[in-house]
Amino acid sequence: MSKLTTGSFSIEDLKDVQITINTIVGAAKEAAKAEDIGPMGPSPFPGLATYRDDWNLKLLDRYEPVITPMCDQCCYCTYGPCDLSNNKRGACGIDMAGHNGREFFLRVITGTACHAAHGRHLLDHLIETFGEDIPLDLGQSDVLTPNITITTGQSPKTLGEIKPAMEFAEEQLTQLLATVHAGQESAEIDYDSKALFSGSLDHVGMEISDIVQIAALDFPKADPEAPLIEMGIGTIDKEKPFLCVIGHNVAGVTYMMDYMEENELTDKVELGGLCCTAIDLTRYKEADRRPPYTKVVGSMSKELKIIRSGMPDVIVVDEQCVRGDIVPEAQKLNIPVIASNAKIMYGLPNRDNQDVDATIEELKSGAIPGCVILNYEKLGEISVRLAQEMHPIREAAGVREVASDEQMKEWVDKCADCGACYLACPIELDIPEAMKFAKEGNYSYLEDLHDACIGCRRCEQVCKKEIPILSVIEKASQKIIAEEKGWMRAGRGQVSDAEIRSEGLNLVMGTTPGIIAIIGCPNYSDCAKGVYYIAEEFLKRNYIVVGTGCGSMDMGMYKDENGETLYERFPGGFVSGGLVNIGSCVSNAHITGAAQKVAGIFGGRTMEGNLAEISDYILNRVGACGLAWGAFSQKASSIGTGCNIYGIPAVLGAHSSKYRRALIAKDYDESKWKVYDARNGEEMAIPPAPEFLLTTAETWQEATPMMAKACIRPSDNNLGRSIKLTHWMELHDKYIGGLPDDWWKFVRGEADIPLAKRAALMKILEEKHGWEIDWKRKKIISGPTIKFDVSAQPTNLKRLCKEA
Amino acid sequence: MVDTTKNTKLFTSYGVTTSKAINPDMAAKMISKAKRPLLVVGSGVLKPELLDRAVKIAQKANLPIAATGHSHVGFLDKDVDAKYINVHQLGFYLTDPNWPGLDGKGNYDMVIVLEFKKYYINQVLSGTRNFSNLKAISIGRDYIQNATMSFGNISREDHYVALDELIDNL
Ligand code: SF4
Ligand code: SF4
Ligand code: SF4
Repeated sequence: MSKLTTGSFSIEDLKDVQITINTIVGAAKEAAKAEDIGPMGPSPFPGLATYRDDWNLKLLDRYEPVITPMCDQCCYCTYGPCDLSNNKRGACGIDMAGHNGREFFLRVITGTACHAAHGRHLLDHLIETFGEDIPLDLGQSDVLTPNITITTGQSPKTLGEIKPAMEFAEEQLTQLLATVHAGQESAEIDYDSKALFSGSLDHVGMEISDIVQIAALDFPKADPEAPLIEMGIGTIDKEKPFLCVIGHNVAGVTYMMDYMEENELTDKVELGGLCCTAIDLTRYKEADRRPPYTKVVGSMSKELKIIRSGMPDVIVVDEQCVRGDIVPEAQKLNIPVIASNAKIMYGLPNRDNQDVDATIEELKSGAIPGCVILNYEKLGEISVRLAQEMHPIREAAGVREVASDEQMKEWVDKCADCGACYLACPIELDIPEAMKFAKEGNYSYLEDLHDACIGCRRCEQVCKKEIPILSVIEKASQKIIAEEKGWMRAGRGQVSDAEIRSEGLNLVMGTTPGIIAIIGCPNYSDCAKGVYYIAEEFLKRNYIVVGTGCGSMDMGMYKDENGETLYERFPGGFVSGGLVNIGSCVSNAHITGAAQKVAGIFGGRTMEGNLAEISDYILNRVGACGLAWGAFSQKASSIGTGCNIYGIPAVLGAHSSKYRRALIAKDYDESKWKVYDARNGEEMAIPPAPEFLLTTAETWQEATPMMAKACIRPSDNNLGRSIKLTHWMELHDKYIGGLPDDWWKFVRGEADIPLAKRAALMKILEEKHGWEIDWKRKKIISGPTIKFDVSAQPTNLKRLCKEA
Repeated sequence: MVDTTKNTKLFTSYGVTTSKAINPDMAAKMISKAKRPLLVVGSGVLKPELLDRAVKIAQKANLPIAATGHSHVGFLDKDVDAKYINVHQLGFYLTDPNWPGLDGKGNYDMVIVLEFKKYYINQVLSGTRNFSNLKAISIGRDYIQNATMSFGNISREDHYVALDELIDNL
């Protein structure tokens, strides 16, 4: 039987019957496997086992899973609950390590599914609206889809051509989810391998989500000069109706903007948002740089805070990272809530089929607290008109104000100093102490809690005196909130091929000391300002700092002594010393994409179906380290794990120890710090960096030198190594104090030693470590355990070596 | 005398086992009995009242210090043996019998932990509790469920008194 192809054809004898075949399941995969489509690595369209032996187990041999369970028990199936403490096995035979590997894996596939579903929603919506043939115009690049290309071998050029990659990610997610079932996979290490695979798919899902919106919705296209956007609660004009959007998916918001533009309302209604929807609404139609008018209120931790401020006149939610108590909280202040995405419907009635005016009346009257509207035309009109109508009503009802001073005093005086709120607060803020000072009229301790408070309301729920603690903190912080005004560069999308070409050599040699990627959510263990301090430290040291999502926002919330934010002080290009806001969470795919493109474009490696070789190149040659300082969500775990499979380490905040699984190497085990030289297959010793692929730090001061150290790579040339050592050792001295214990392990010769302190450090090498120094020639004679060879080709993949 | 065993309230539990609440004299006794103890401090120790007490504990019981987070800066001018290590990394190494320790002399049989956010140290100790025989004594102001023994929840003031009693008993 011949195979079916796409196209139209008629069947003989059956007049007037024409059959059209648009897509054939599996056809793209078949085509990709055909041999005549150019260079192709060994793993296009991988399955659960494809990367396991060739790459994942090699990574996991050095970067060992570190399990920190959240619970002694397992209650997955009806055999349980089982007590797994002390690594016991449950009734089904799985042990504590295996079960926690499963728990971590479950987080990763959940995050992967979130982004894949987001991508699917946008892809279908945009194809339906604009057609399949919209070209992937993403800026001046040939490599448009590095994650898709590495994974599937394909290089789609239009919206329609993305479909096979989308289908593939969905199919593999089903396979992955199946392994969680009781009685299936039980080996911890195999859950890790599967999690890594899922991480790679996550970056495919994110890549799809972002490139389709960039192409179809005219977002900035690899634009280093994308406009500056106003940011912070303090930028919202209280006199205007305020339409507040929360979530991650921009599809519906564009209709609000279109409605506002068609009806000349852009200066009459405030449209602003929280989380990634906010970032992406500032990107809409910005490719041609029209003056931006929408605002970014801030990160997820501000959701309840903005509601408690009373300012929003309507709230529209879409998907992901949206609190579960938006409706009851908004209801207290007469704020109607519209759910605009089928993933979150909050039990609200659906008003898709009702007349627009009737729905506005119904919501205005308060007869229903909110409704579902999935029809975007209606959503655009209703949300904007409703905000205008609600504004005077809510103003008159006095619900747009925070509490009065008298009310505040009454609340504070009620506190019985019972300590229940301290026990409940996930950030462990000392609320009782702040209350004690507030009773004496000193509100500064309460004000100090505002920045670290994630607005979660756990404290309020345990307070027997029913004090609205979050409102108390917010009231005490009115002055600093009014000054919460920052700037953020609109998300610029991918890093262009040209930018990779000009920075590739510097990155591989180490003369640009590294890429620092500041991403993720606001569940900070110390303070939001930590990400600002870290970013500033690395920018001043000429690292390339890239950001996405809530991390990008919080970097822009603080100002220096001249009143300037980081985005105003540093250029937006992918250059040494540049601060690059890539975009929203889904834009994280462009961060792995940039590292992949260094391997593909600069390193000349085949990208198609070639994950292991690309990852191996990045691990050994591209100094990069992620920081997800407030990672809270499942998506953050999948984003990080996707970075990990590509050889990019990530430091997370202390809360992220609750993900249950880190990947940390034994820096004392020399057998782990060897690679092959691809020129002859001989083993070569490398220094112990990066020491981890996924770990946590306690404070931003600790994280800073950790990240600098994690940018050291075997491929650094002498100048690069000395630059990287300079930064790491200076940062260690500044924040930890003194010389790091193991700095000497990174020295291959005198030229590696930081220039400014070379003589003094050589003295230490001689006296403390017994190295032989020729002081006349200022040369190291013997001592280093690793050698420098400028043309060595470090690799963890034996199969890439030419045999000697 | 402060009773540090009274309040062992938890917001949520890790499950079936929980640490034994102890008083300062008992903590001192346990520390004195350990063969290779290690004092592990978090960045919270940089508060002057705590830093002084941590130094006294280390000196009196002759304990090496794993200075985690950025706490190491506090010990630079103190006469103690303090080394920086990341606490998540430390938690992992403590489960490896082959770890040479901070001084090259081998792994430890007990850690004494002080001044961490409780969610963080609980998480680190859930690793050592399930995957090693390490004993962990928490002498912070919060009840730490995943330690072997711990002070209960106490006020800041009582905590200082408890630490002083511990020092007296060493
Ligand atoms: S899945 Fe296994 S460990 Fe979990 S409850 Fe069932 S039998 Fe027990
Ligand atoms: S709302 Fe703020 S203060 Fe209250 S428990 Fe949450 S983080 Fe702590
Ligand atoms: S729970 Fe309420 S009464 Fe108790 S200390 Fe906190 S604010 Fe005061």
